Amino acid sequence: MLTYFVIVPVLTAVLLYLFSSAKSGRVLAILIQTGFVGAAYYLFTLSRQGEIITSIGNYGGILGIYLRADNLAAVFVLLTAIFFLLASIYSFREKDGSMFWFLIFIWQGALIGLFLTRDFFNVFVLVEVVTMVVAVLIMFNRDTRSMYDGMIYLLVNITAMKFFLFGLGYLYRLTGALDMATITQVLSEADRADQILPYALIMTAVALKCALMPLFSWLPKAHGSPAAPPAVSAILSGLHIKSGVYLFIRFQDVFAAVAATEFFLVMGVVTGIIGFIMAMSQNDIKLILAYSTISQVGLIFVALNIPDPYSYVGGLYHVINHALFKGCLFLGAGVITKVYGTRDIYAIRGVLRRMPWIGAATLMAVLGIAGAPFFNGSISKYFMVAGAPELIGWVMVFMSLGTIIVFIKYATILFGSAPKPSEKEYPILPEQQFSIFVLGLLCCVTGILGVQTIQFLFQTTVYVDFMGYLEKVLIFFISLGVGYLIYKYFVKTSALLRRVRAFELGFREICASMGVFFAMILLAVGLA
Amino acid sequence: MNFDIIELFCIAMFFIAFFGLITSKSMIKSVVFMSLMEMAVIMFFLSIGFRSGLFAPIGVNMNPDYVADPLPQALMITAIIIGLSVTAVTLTMLMTLFRKHNTTDWEIVKKKSAE
Repeated sequence: MLTYFVIVPVLTAVLLYLFSSAKSGRVLAILIQTGFVGAAYYLFTLSRQGEIITSIGNYGGILGIYLRADNLAAVFVLLTAIFFLLASIYSFREKDGSMFWFLIFIWQGALIGLFLTRDFFNVFVLVEVVTMVVAVLIMFNRDTRSMYDGMIYLLVNITAMKFFLFGLGYLYRLTGALDMATITQVLSEADRADQILPYALIMTAVALKCALMPLFSWLPKAHGSPAAPPAVSAILSGLHIKSGVYLFIRFQDVFAAVAATEFFLVMGVVTGIIGFIMAMSQNDIKLILAYSTISQVGLIFVALNIPDPYSYVGGLYHVINHALFKGCLFLGAGVITKVYGTRDIYAIRGVLRRMPWIGAATLMAVLGIAGAPFFNGSISKYFMVAGAPELIGWVMVFMSLGTIIVFIKYATILFGSAPKPSEKEYPILPEQQFSIFVLGLLCCVTGILGVQTIQFLFQTTVYVDFMGYLEKVLIFFISLGVGYLIYKYFVKTSALLRRVRAFELGFREICASMGVFFAMILLAVGLA
Repeated sequence: MNFDIIELFCIAMFFIAFFGLITSKSMIKSVVFMSLMEMAVIMFFLSIGFRSGLFAPIGVNMNPDYVADPLPQALMITAIIIGLSVTAVTLTMLMTLFRKHNTTDWEIVKKKSAE
């Protein structure tokens, strides 16, 4: 059964490539996406009763290649289906051609395959497919800047996958298996020293996929590339980056004996802090959002590596929340840049007046990401901090302060008076407003019904302590005040930030930092 | 874990090629070094299943003790095909960038793209 979840999007892609030049083709695409959300939801309800396993080709035992849908995988598949549906609705009338739809559906199939597979070599193949598709989508409009961005993205990710493949070879030599469950079993009895090298090789690749420090430099290029279609940026930043986080969760389980949780916790903190400093220095709205993704992934990494169920669930919930608000913000930014004809944050004012629906959705997403009370970010941040030790809790509060400053800067585009509409008005399409507003509304709904949503998605019962939550609300408002002061007297005027803004690594530097990261993780595991 | 000489050679080749990736200024050379890294991995995989005195797993009634593991080869055929298509795509992109900027130097392309 699970095979269909991978095959159907791929077949649809081929079909659409042949027929989608007509409008009926695109209607068909939306219909299939809608049906797919239903199928993903059905899969999710099934997975609540227990893990579903399908063997491709019906070989059993160690020979089989398996797909499995446990709770975590099913949640990610559901998220993927909803996200691609909204992105498809958004691009319904964009003049992107049949190639765009072909690539989008291949992307969806490969991502779902990545979430469902239990086979290491399949992970390699699917990641390569996804990388190629994304690289082509980034330079879809063939503008000089995005050509370079796509090239960097492709080369860096392919190099990382060479590391992955090498680690995989080593692992195969060690265990004689490719199935994750079998490897986990064999590794639990294997010598610890033998596992260090494959772990370091594979984790270098995964950390690059997640854009941890110092491997982040390709991400803003890819996610914030000016000419890339907004739907592509939204999927990249909202969903695609989570495939790295997902693989990280899986591989930490496989390599339980050598898993360097403290190392990744520290890297998460570093990533989060550098991420928001870079984000607040940018003036391009797409780049602000891209760098803020780095900082949020850092936060997620901190939470996932705290050995506490509350933080872990909070981290997982933040993965979903981040997809919702960042998707909403990127899609919104796509319309905003087209209407205003600029990406400069200081030139855009009065979005709320000019386009109330998109403005309202953006406002909800901003409140969500900043962790305002009753929005989804506050719930996941509450749980992340609730399970953390005192010190790390305060570090996370500091990281949210950074996020708040970044989004005070971002929210300035919403207010003020709108300039007079020019002669050539870009029409705001109703279906684009619809998908942006749905995402914005979801930020609010998953906030108010936070505990119930966690119960529904992960079958984990969590409790919100009323006094504790009130304390967090207080911290939020204090951070908001402090953040506003810092924004007004530091961010707007600082010459230091201007220098940070220009900081950008080339291909060779990114490769060098990959080597550095590899050495670091080798040392961290070796010395532990 | 003990390595034989060919595996050590592959590991060395992988990291030498990676070092080349860090140091080479030309985009063409980057693509070449990337392929080299891949060759090292492929050779490493192929050496896993092989010891001298083993036969190819073709035919019937073979003694499993004297048959080489066929899986690495099967995997590597896939990896080679992926590598081929990736190299093709990379070279196409490289040509487009070259036509636009008239250079294959990473630094110059980076500077010109930022404008």
